[in-house]
Amino acid sequence: MATGELLTPYDADAPGRRASLLGLATRGTAFLPVLALVLLLPRQSGDWTNDAIFAAIYAMVGLSMNVLVGYTGQISLGQQAFLGIGALTAANVVHTGTNAPDPFTFALGMVCAVAVSAGAAAVLGGIALRIRGLYLALVTLVFGAVTADAVFTIPSLNGNDAGVSAYRPTAIQTDYSYYIFAVAMVGVCLYVDVWIRRTKVGRGLIALRDNELVASSFGINVLGYKLLGFVLSGAMAGLAGGVFAFWSQEFSDKDFTATAGFNKALIFVVMVVVGGLGNRAGVVAAAAFFALLDPILSGIAHSTGWINYYTDHKAYISNIIGAVLLLQTLIFNPGGLGQVLRPFTRWFGGHPFSLHDEHGDAAAAALAGGSDVRA
Amino acid sequence: MHVLASAFSTETNFVTPLISGIANGSAYGLLGLGLVLLYKSNRIFNFAQGEFATIAAIVAYVFDRGTGWVPKAPYFLALALGVLASVLTAMLTERMVIRPLFNRPRVVLVVATIGVALLLIGVEGMLPYPQTASLRTISDVLNVRSYVTQVDHVAILDQDLAKFIALALLAVAAFVFFRFTPTGTAILAVSQDATAARVVGISVERISATTWAIAGLLGGIAGVLLAVPPSGSVTPGSITGLTLTVAFSAAVLGGMTSLPGAFVGGLLIGLIEAFANADQSFIPGLSSLPTAQAEVAVAIVLLVILLVRPRGLLGQEA
Repeated sequence: MATGELLTPYDADAPGRRASLLGLATRGTAFLPVLALVLLLPRQSGDWTNDAIFAAIYAMVGLSMNVLVGYTGQISLGQQAFLGIGALTAANVVHTGTNAPDPFTFALGMVCAVAVSAGAAAVLGGIALRIRGLYLALVTLVFGAVTADAVFTIPSLNGNDAGVSAYRPTAIQTDYSYYIFAVAMVGVCLYVDVWIRRTKVGRGLIALRDNELVASSFGINVLGYKLLGFVLSGAMAGLAGGVFAFWSQEFSDKDFTATAGFNKALIFVVMVVVGGLGNRAGVVAAAAFFALLDPILSGIAHSTGWINYYTDHKAYISNIIGAVLLLQTLIFNPGGLGQVLRPFTRWFGGHPFSLHDEHGDAAAAALAGGSDVRA
Repeated sequence: MHVLASAFSTETNFVTPLISGIANGSAYGLLGLGLVLLYKSNRIFNFAQGEFATIAAIVAYVFDRGTGWVPKAPYFLALALGVLASVLTAMLTERMVIRPLFNRPRVVLVVATIGVALLLIGVEGMLPYPQTASLRTISDVLNVRSYVTQVDHVAILDQDLAKFIALALLAVAAFVFFRFTPTGTAILAVSQDATAARVVGISVERISATTWAIAGLLGGIAGVLLAVPPSGSVTPGSITGLTLTVAFSAAVLGGMTSLPGAFVGGLLIGLIEAFANADQSFIPGLSSLPTAQAEVAVAIVLLVILLVRPRGLLGQEA
């Protein structure tokens, strides 16, 4: 899917243009409210901190989907399985009974979560990406159901159905300090995303996505690059899974059932498209929105007296909201939320402020005209 | 069949999964027909196909019971109204979602069908009815015994036979439609090159609407046949969550471009599932997880067919 940021001419990325000292100071001051929103608002109450950690986990999943859908043009309907594999691995590696793990064990658990998820992605992608077309969507769909029913339910891996405890190390024991850790992990994912975009890897992936035949005739290894994109995406989701395990302080297969997982998979696709494919800021914002949708809506329902109706129908209500946002984004606003945020993100990036984003318009035009990728 | 039969201790152990496998396989095949039709014509995987089926089941259920302000309709009229509802849903999907996106990359269309599925699940869940649609069986309506015949003391239920017959007839009809009728060949022409088809005078818009209407028809027929207990009942999203995944595997096994392939693939996958469920040691090492046997077996079949023969058993191209 060709979109927003990725159609920026390469010279627009080039360094050379630096904002003045005054400009930097202005941007820094303007950034303070954003920083305060991210760092201080979750501090207001315990529930808010918990919701904010959940939003950070979703942001990581969103960025992992961004690598896959935004840069390689493939869809995965099994991202929740990598999340689960990450959580399962982290909890089982760190497993220290009722004691808090030492930082080294904790770090090892996180690294293993990333490695095992990446390995699973490599095996799966190695098979599914050989075939032209969107078969990855089908294979990951089946993979998601199978891992939920046949891997997460293995008694020796899920603590005989009682859950594997995953206590946090003492340094990040409190919810708020763990939230800061989660935000730092989102930062890691953002860095990987930037790295992908700035290196040969990202250029290769995007070239492949836009036209496989042309890209391969320029010497890009089709299977290798697609596989790399899928593995990076799986690894990020695995990291999110590790953060998830220590957030809920256990791995339980009940959090990753096949039916719940399937619904999550669809929401993950929705949030990356609504956020704007290939657009980091938009994807993070959309992911946080969908993570916070339930707390926000139930808050509104509480204060308006609709709480019983809401509790009975909440899955359906969020389905409708997600679907309407997705379809309107696809049909009317292909750049997604990222396109709306773009004047601001560009300005923060050191460019002059301008509501008219010529590159964004080019992106929309390219999407509407259609590079007709035959699957 | 002898080899398979000898692996089971008694005759009954072989007949039970055989019959349930064909019954479930028919359901996968029925859903698979719609998936293949849209893959053949639009080169997309339609994730909304399961909800087209659900809509039909729910509408048929509501008219059969006559709940709320809805008048009670005769059984077969209720079924027809259900199928009509899913045809209209499919046509609406085509007009509102697919047509504006027709020239976009295929991945956009696939994501759009996911959006349609989510939307339909949400809307179905908000409708005022008891959330579970289970239709009466034909034998209930006609007041006759509930099975057609017995094979080795295993009853063949009328709704299972109905599914199988419907699948066989529709597979043949769809095959004939694409091979011999002007509309069918026009659909194929548009799928191969929309611009060239327009040049020779085919209305791409009308063909697209027709294709989706047929997909809705196939989905609707699948829906009213799937929502019959004891083997089935329908809740919002249940067909998408449980049956659609397997139906996709069946369609890939038979060949995404082959309508008879959906028939063959559906039955094969149904049988593989049934025998995996019947035999605890079907997949070594998984005997502690009896429910996962069938799923793992289907996943292995899908991966193997994609590796060895991506175009499927009866498909023409990858």
